[in-house]
Amino acid sequence: MSPQQRLTLVEKPERRFALTLVAPGVLVLAVTTTFPLVFLLWQSLQNINLAMPGMERFVGADNYVRMWGDARFWAAFAFTIIYSGVTVSLQLVIGLGMALVILQIPRAQWAFRMAAILPIVLAPVVAGLFWRSLMLTPDFGIVDFASRSLGLGSHNWLGDPTLARVSVIAIHTWQWTPFVFLYMLAALAALPADLYEAARIDRASAWRRFVHITLPLIRPAIVVVVILRITVALSAFAAIYAATGGGPGTVTEIINLYAYRVSFVELSLGYGAAAAVVLLVLTMLVAGLLFRIRR
Amino acid sequence: MTSRRLRTLALMAVGACLLAIWTVPILLAVITSLKDEKEVLAYPPTLWFTPTLKAFDAVLFGPTNILGDLATSLIVAIATTVLTIVIAVPAAYAFARLKLPGRKPLGFYVLATQLVPPIGLIIPYFLILNRIGWMDSYRGLVLIYMTFSLPFAIWLLVSYFEDIPREMEEAALIDRASRWQALWHVVLPQARGAIAVTVIFVFLNAWNEFLFAVVLGGANVRPVTVSMYNYINTEQTQWAQLAAAALMAMLPVIVLGLAAQKHIVNGLTAGAVKGVGRR
Repeated sequence: MSPQQRLTLVEKPERRFALTLVAPGVLVLAVTTTFPLVFLLWQSLQNINLAMPGMERFVGADNYVRMWGDARFWAAFAFTIIYSGVTVSLQLVIGLGMALVILQIPRAQWAFRMAAILPIVLAPVVAGLFWRSLMLTPDFGIVDFASRSLGLGSHNWLGDPTLARVSVIAIHTWQWTPFVFLYMLAALAALPADLYEAARIDRASAWRRFVHITLPLIRPAIVVVVILRITVALSAFAAIYAATGGGPGTVTEIINLYAYRVSFVELSLGYGAAAAVVLLVLTMLVAGLLFRIRR
Repeated sequence: MTSRRLRTLALMAVGACLLAIWTVPILLAVITSLKDEKEVLAYPPTLWFTPTLKAFDAVLFGPTNILGDLATSLIVAIATTVLTIVIAVPAAYAFARLKLPGRKPLGFYVLATQLVPPIGLIIPYFLILNRIGWMDSYRGLVLIYMTFSLPFAIWLLVSYFEDIPREMEEAALIDRASRWQALWHVVLPQARGAIAVTVIFVFLNAWNEFLFAVVLGGANVRPVTVSMYNYINTEQTQWAQLAAAALMAMLPVIVLGLAAQKHIVNGLTAGAVKGVGRR
């Protein structure tokens, strides 16, 4: 028997076995995800309005053309970029900073890990509700109380357009910074200690050690965490929905909320599908770009 | 006091602030849930008051209690978890360990499905489930929950399977164990920890899901995340009851989160350690 033949004798059953094991998962994903997405694309080319059943018809690219001229869509598009850009940057800077600080504290690190878990396991809809009621309600929300006590006055945190945007960004940042913190803590803890020793002997300052040694070493972890956080931020829904519902008016709408309201409040499912397709493409583009940077 | 100790103290102070910021909304909810509805609206907010369990009594045993919705959440989350694990474990094993034909494109496919924004699925699901009569049903909800739990579980399990040593498995195969026997008797026992972590994550995500539940659920199948929202939608919000209901709804995940804190951190950061140090 030639080595070639022996190889195929061993490999063939293994390949078949591997395919058998993967098949159910891939089939389920094809049925539950790929098929609905194809249907979504088809929907986005239709005029479907649930308020007018029986009027469905193929309209080609009409929904996309309409979206191109829709100021509300562009506002949602812009706020999607701002929302994910700002929340992810804040999460990264604060989370990494916190991890660096906490690593210096010799004791009670478990307390920080415990506390960090709390926002992460909280359902985003509950986080949104807690902030809307207990934190931000004028007069008896704790943030408003603090603002009044500091002489900054009472504010309509979720009713004023600018403050509402700041608030939904703050809520998302509050909930997910602990994730980045834990991620960075793990990455930093895995760094070899001897590198620092060498740098310390060279009398490098703490800032230079961070920029020239730590940062390059944890760069892969940073890229991964940014990918994870951006994809979540792009499809954030429940916290904004619970806190402002996209309002006042439409100012806190990200594309995700915009597509939801168009589809399920205004009942234009075709037009909403087109908005969802745009978000899908945007997510894939951003993720693809970041994956490329990673290499 | 040495400067070193001073520095430690300063760091502790910074750390304490962070702890406060992370826990304040939850602590506030606990305090509010123990107040009388009138007490909640007092200004300035009171910290000393006579605690009452009235709000908990109302949300658990009152006419609009959440017990039924809690049970619904439990059924949906458990069904999703069981199905996901049964399908994801073999798939992840094949990805991590076997000579899988088309491994790269298949792996890429699983990763890509994880990136799909939920809004892109909920719109077609709404029409499809309406058409086949699966709206407001457990089947429909579990089906769509698989779309986020399955890719996530496969991806997480692959990273764990890659770390399990191959020796015992190879020894079993040399001893003429079948592939299935080796997987069942040798690999799975070693992967128990990884599977436990995955179970926790899938359960948490299914329990906390909101968008799919609010659109595809209804009077029959209404997970507790949706009933939460109803507390604030009423004309006059009952703050103490909202806080009590939210705490009851979050009790399972908070307990799970704190009890399995180590495993959760482990799972969250599964990718963090591997890439570190490589330039």
